[in-house]
Amino acid sequence: MLNRFCKTACQVAALAAALGAGVANADVSISGGWLRAVPPVSPTMAGYLTVTNNGETSVKITGARSDIAGHTMLHSMKTLDDGTRKMGHLHHIMLAPGDSFSLTPGGDHLMLMKLQRVPQLGESVTVCLLQAEGDALCSALPVRREAPEES
Amino acid sequence: MRKLLYVLPLLAALVLAGCGKQESDLPVNTRLGGDFTLTDQNGEPFQAEKLKGQVSILFFGYTHCPDICPAVLAQVAQVYRHLEEEGVADQVQPVFITFDPERDTAAHLKEYLPWFKADMIGLTGSLEQIREVAKQYGVVFIKDKEADEQGYLFTHSDYIYLLDDQARVRKLYPADFKVDEVVADVESLL
Repeated sequence: MLNRFCKTACQVAALAAALGAGVANADVSISGGWLRAVPPVSPTMAGYLTVTNNGETSVKITGARSDIAGHTMLHSMKTLDDGTRKMGHLHHIMLAPGDSFSLTPGGDHLMLMKLQRVPQLGESVTVCLLQAEGDALCSALPVRREAPEES
Repeated sequence: MRKLLYVLPLLAALVLAGCGKQESDLPVNTRLGGDFTLTDQNGEPFQAEKLKGQVSILFFGYTHCPDICPAVLAQVAQVYRHLEEEGVADQVQPVFITFDPERDTAAHLKEYLPWFKADMIGLTGSLEQIREVAKQYGVVFIKDKEADEQGYLFTHSDYIYLLDDQARVRKLYPADFKVDEVVADVESLL
């Protein structure tokens, strides 16, 4: 009995591990996530991902968090008329059923500030998107030098 | 025989032209660039004159910038690695100029830049000095007023400048430049 329980528990754990790069919510998925590797003395780093609402009701993402950063924000990036680039706080992301939203290099992005430690190349860091309603959507984002080919 | 006397110099000229250095097609931008003095990552004065004698890839940014600046630094490092593979990296100098001297001190640049492994020179200085250099290169940077306990950001332009061995601007690239294009342009100037 105990063995069967352990076997089932292991299977669940393995499934959870396999979904490590995915999300803890069946209706919303995170894909293509990564963090840009930065020098060990860097105070900030940026993250990128695509979040998709697979459910039948709208989803509102209101922020982000990560254990390695004192503060994590959703950041907007705008190109102004004179060609300069301006960052600002992206207060929320609304996702209608079936919608996706991508945080991309040079565009809107995740900003991890006050890094308590700078993760190394190849490491994975858990980043969670906060919803107005419901649990946080967490995903393990690999630290990379460059964007993965498919993103 | 007389015909040969005419033809031989012409042939010699053609052969010499073929062996000599090809002039790059990149036009000289006479409106941007100029002399300046800043401070390098070792705390030493750095004059624009030092850029002469090699091709430079020059760009502006700040190390607290989370997105564009690290991406540009990584891309420039990629260009440098390609040039290393071609055996010409010693003729090329990447140069990073901060417009955030308050946080990007020489000591901080010295710790920050080597990670990119591109033999980068980091330049800082007084805000006045940096404003002057930025003006020479048509760079805009504005410290955002929304600074809070998380720090401050800049609204800024993000061009990358290719300088020839006379420190003249020959081409500008956007922040999301193509590595292969820059490598080819650099090689055309060597």
